[in-house]
Amino acid sequence: MNGRATSPWRMGMMAALIAFLSACSDKSRPARQIAGADPSRGLELIDQVGCGACHVIPGLAWPQGRTGGSLEGFGERPLIAGRFPNQPGTLVAWLRDPPSLSPNTAMPPTPLSEAQARDVAAYLYSLDER
Amino acid sequence: MSRPTSTASMSADPRAVAGLEGWPPPALDPAGPFAEPVSVLSWVLLAMGGAVLLTVLLALGLALFGPRRWRRRLGGPWLVWIGGLAFPVVVLSALLIYGLSLTGVLSQAPAPGEMRVRVTGEMWWWRVAYLNADGREVMQDANEVHIPVGRPVVFELDAADVIHSFWVPRLGGKRDMIPGRRNVLRLQADAPGVYAGQCAEYCGGPHALMGFVVVAHTPEAFEAWRAQRAAPARAPVGPLAMRGAEVFASAGCGACHTVRGSVANGLAGPDLTHVGSRRTLGAGILPNNRGTLAGWISDSQAIKPGNRMPAYPVLQGRDLQALAAYLEGLR
Amino acid sequence: MTLRRIPISLLDERFPTKSRRPAGELPELEEIWCRPKGWGWFTAINNNFVGVYYVGAAMLFFVLAGALALLMRTQLALPLNGVLGQETYNQIFTVHGTMMMFLFAVPAVEALGVLLLPQMLGARDLPFPRLSAYAFWAYLIGGLAFFASLFFGLAPSGGWFMYPPLSSSTWSPGINADFWLLGIGFIEISAIAGAIEIIVGVLRTRAPGMTLDKLPVFAWAMLIFAVMIIVAFPSVILATTLMELERALNWPFFDPARGGDPLLWQHLFWFFGHPEVYIIFLPAAGAMSTIIPAVARTPLVAYPLVVLAMLATGFISFGVWAHHMFTTGMPRLSINVFSAASMAVSIPAGIQVFAWIATLADGRPRFTTTGLFIIGSVIIFTMGGLTGVMVAMVPFDWQAHDTYFVVAHLHYVLIGGMVFPMFAAIYYWLPMVSARPLSERLGRWVFALMFTGVHVTFLPMHLTGLMGMPRRVYTYLPGRDWELPNLISTLGAFIFGIAVALWIFDMIRNFRPFGDREAGDLHQSPGLEWVPAGLYSLRSIPIVKSLYPLWDQPDLKADVVAGRYLLPGSAMGGRETILTSAIEAEPQALLRMPAPSPWPIWAAVFTAGFFLLLTVQAYAACVVSGVLGVYCIMQWCWSLDLPVEAEVAHIGGHIRVPTYVAGPAGHGWWAMVITLIVAAMVFVMMAFSYVFLWSRNPAIWSPPPAHGVLYVGIGLYAGAALAALTACRLARLGRACARWSVAGLVLAADLVAGAWILDFQAWRDAGLRGEASAHGAIVYAFLVWQSLFVGVAALMAIYAILRLFFGLVAPERPTTGDLIGLFLIYSAGQGGASMLITHLFPGA
Repeated sequence: MNGRATSPWRMGMMAALIAFLSACSDKSRPARQIAGADPSRGLELIDQVGCGACHVIPGLAWPQGRTGGSLEGFGERPLIAGRFPNQPGTLVAWLRDPPSLSPNTAMPPTPLSEAQARDVAAYLYSLDER
Repeated sequence: MSRPTSTASMSADPRAVAGLEGWPPPALDPAGPFAEPVSVLSWVLLAMGGAVLLTVLLALGLALFGPRRWRRRLGGPWLVWIGGLAFPVVVLSALLIYGLSLTGVLSQAPAPGEMRVRVTGEMWWWRVAYLNADGREVMQDANEVHIPVGRPVVFELDAADVIHSFWVPRLGGKRDMIPGRRNVLRLQADAPGVYAGQCAEYCGGPHALMGFVVVAHTPEAFEAWRAQRAAPARAPVGPLAMRGAEVFASAGCGACHTVRGSVANGLAGPDLTHVGSRRTLGAGILPNNRGTLAGWISDSQAIKPGNRMPAYPVLQGRDLQALAAYLEGLR
Repeated sequence: MTLRRIPISLLDERFPTKSRRPAGELPELEEIWCRPKGWGWFTAINNNFVGVYYVGAAMLFFVLAGALALLMRTQLALPLNGVLGQETYNQIFTVHGTMMMFLFAVPAVEALGVLLLPQMLGARDLPFPRLSAYAFWAYLIGGLAFFASLFFGLAPSGGWFMYPPLSSSTWSPGINADFWLLGIGFIEISAIAGAIEIIVGVLRTRAPGMTLDKLPVFAWAMLIFAVMIIVAFPSVILATTLMELERALNWPFFDPARGGDPLLWQHLFWFFGHPEVYIIFLPAAGAMSTIIPAVARTPLVAYPLVVLAMLATGFISFGVWAHHMFTTGMPRLSINVFSAASMAVSIPAGIQVFAWIATLADGRPRFTTTGLFIIGSVIIFTMGGLTGVMVAMVPFDWQAHDTYFVVAHLHYVLIGGMVFPMFAAIYYWLPMVSARPLSERLGRWVFALMFTGVHVTFLPMHLTGLMGMPRRVYTYLPGRDWELPNLISTLGAFIFGIAVALWIFDMIRNFRPFGDREAGDLHQSPGLEWVPAGLYSLRSIPIVKSLYPLWDQPDLKADVVAGRYLLPGSAMGGRETILTSAIEAEPQALLRMPAPSPWPIWAAVFTAGFFLLLTVQAYAACVVSGVLGVYCIMQWCWSLDLPVEAEVAHIGGHIRVPTYVAGPAGHGWWAMVITLIVAAMVFVMMAFSYVFLWSRNPAIWSPPPAHGVLYVGIGLYAGAALAALTACRLARLGRACARWSVAGLVLAADLVAGAWILDFQAWRDAGLRGEASAHGAIVYAFLVWQSLFVGVAALMAIYAILRLFFGLVAPERPTTGDLIGLFLIYSAGQGGASMLITHLFPGA
């Protein structure tokens, strides 16, 4: 491309937004920990990949898809997709390639790398019931 | 066991593509000869406007707070004759000549042999057709216009339903798309890149979510792109995509959408022959990958309320996934 | 009844009178113009009540539409915010624009005119007080109904400009768009009624001696404003009529598939819509030019130039409409012409700005709240004007058009050019009607917050626009750097909101109208409106010798209050003022004015009911309401042209004037002529539309009926005109002839109706159908327009017969017959002209 750098203004805005949002959702007792993962980066990825096309995700204003169900309170849910134990390892695998775990799911593989999926998982675990 | 097969690159996010930022302001950050002089004009106007404003503020300040002698001198009809009449007449006449000549330069009629693209505004997406030398449509696409750099491209602007307006700020001014009329706009990009476009005329409902991109290639890259695009759709590869193709046919997608090389030949919605290679989904609003394709097909109304594509609550999870895989493979 | 000239020199010899006034005179005046009681508050018609109601209603709509703006700014504070849904937002921005333009700006300046003009001109009231009352109530009811449509999700969502095809029944099914047409319908009625009132008021009820060079700038501005309404509003009347016909009957004026053209709407809408901006601006500028001398304690610098500038604005503003259409692909020549005109129109604005600055420099300005709003207005308006010059440059407009840059521009112009002057006017003139002035201390806060709010809101929008953000979007995607400027704009909007809230608080605390005493002048002002007055307005009507009478005629105030000038009491025991000549302002006659009456408000209620019920498609109830409305209007007119006890009246100083004037000297005649000019303008715009549609699609034009129909039709119309003309002559020739004149009027009405039926039938027989093509649509549109006149002519004929039946027709009172005759002659002429156009152009 033409090599235009992302403007500092834009970066600052994003950082402020994310700090604001995670301050809201980051309650005292995260249900599950993922070492080294960055929940705020996770939200950024959720926005970029377009998870909202199917899911309502707290912290994401739009889109709020109805196909895949709301992820509100995901951090305290016992199961993923009603089938698998909600554990970090399973979640990260699920986020990258759900059909490999559950062939009949509507959720297709995503373009997330392992590290990116860990960030997204970390964000999802920060969502409690309020 | 299949490893993640979705290969859409992360940079396909429309909001992360270089060229779509608002800073520097695209209208003042020209990328072609139809935008360049307008941006110069804008700076001239801004500077003159600023100077006049300062003058008026100075006069007002003096009138209110100035020393008595100054104020008495200001407070006569001469100020009105000079400031209100003579000065504006001179300045405005100069500006007018500048503006009229520039208007002339920018609205020159297209020369024969220039590349032509027909863009039709529809509620709320853009139908794109590339024309050959005879003016016949040879290639269909949607929400994305690919052009070669370095030469003017003629856009024939139509509207299918209501009035829309075609605007790529970094390449030039906008032009309305009016039912029953055909407007012509010439644009040129000087450097390869992605340039954001947007519907500028209020067209109801999700007018706010009616974006598109212009992708400018080097001439060689453009020819390569054209050759690839001219081919009919790729046959689905692998069992999942093949299942997806079957779902596409059985769910009746072909009633509205065309996939060249298959039986699907609907005309109401965007041409999907190469949908997998588009940068965005839903007219410049969503990243294009298998997940967003699935979400869009299943319930686009939740994403872009009011758009013309109905929700498909009848598809089974697996079928939806297969369909998304098939479409993603149409590159 | 020839009018005798009463030169001003004669008046100068006799006034101010020296003798003591009789003791009963003042109590009688107070009794006649007394304060209403109970339900009387609704039936009050004089301007010091209706004017206050009117300004109040306009400000109510300003606050409501402003609240909508806050909702929109809340939604846009963050990208992809979910405060308002898409459809809700689209409805809200449509209603915000429509209300601000149609229900606030135009009515507000008109209301200011209704409230201020009589006293400024030295009249007791405007010449048609019942018409003002009717216009006000129709506007209030219609406006509230329009606003309420939001709560039922029935509000229009096509933008305040309602471009077809988006607003057509295909893309806007449901009655939402009809609600827009309803709202506009009421403002059309009230604007035209107000314009008639103001033109006749300014030209015919000025204080003796107030020649045009001594006319306060505000009155000049209102006069130009009213004339502009007469020229501009017909265009929108026609546009809305065509759109409703297209929506209701499927006549394709704007549908290209059947030969229509969406651009026809844009031409008609903006031919009204851009002058509209100056219609709003001129009265506000007039108020500025009137207030500034008082604030600066010195006469306005370059008064003649300012008046000329306003006239020039009026003229040029009719040549700039297409600058809203630079991006529609118009031919380059027209683009250039409109670009030049759009730049030229900024010159008169500059003249006024510099005249204000020069006046401030010349005097010793006071920094009262009024003064602050004046200064704020100059700054904000100048900024809006400069961006206006920018968008008048076509290449720049191609970028800026339909972006937030234009949103910024138009708000700077309208807030600087109208809202700030309006607040200056409120702070300046409020002590004229209220027992307490507004608080100066709070006022400074209101100003400071509002001034800050404007810039914080709209200055960043210039940038947002250049950054590529289009207008009328309910949300925007993140990642385009539009977040920060939008957040700032939202912050500014709330600062503005706080200022307005503070002003409302102050109004509640201090605004005490309709009392026995007023706070009075805070600025030692020069205008007649500051002569102490009662509910009867001025105690006596002065002879004016200066543009600034209270500065240059030192004893004037005392003499007027002591009743030493004209009409010191009531000459005939009723509400009266003096009718003066249009140029010289010499007294001509006593203008007897109607008493308060419930009929205008009932007429307004049923008019509103008619349109509302039509909109919600309750046709039976709608017809009932329409019939009742007509009945109320007839009742209202019934008491107007009654027998007069005396032919002449004494108006002080041994001056006698007639109590009844008919023909071109009468105020009713003027009003009818102005109404007919409005009708004629609608007709001209219709003819334009006809030619425009033909030029777009000549191929679909089908041949007209055989010419025989044309000859017979023209013959019938000529006969109708002749009958009406003869009737008017007959009416003056004696009692028996006067009776026959009614027969003449009825005959004329019949002939007009007959010719219409003939024409209609001929087109039906020729096979033309309204829904088939744009040709059919526009031909039947002519017929629909003419049918309105046939209908009104029929009602007038019935009215004339009723008057005959009740013995009210008399040769010394020919006015009613004259006006009906005038209307019939026009109807015949219009019918003939429409036949000529539709049958002969473009030829077979």
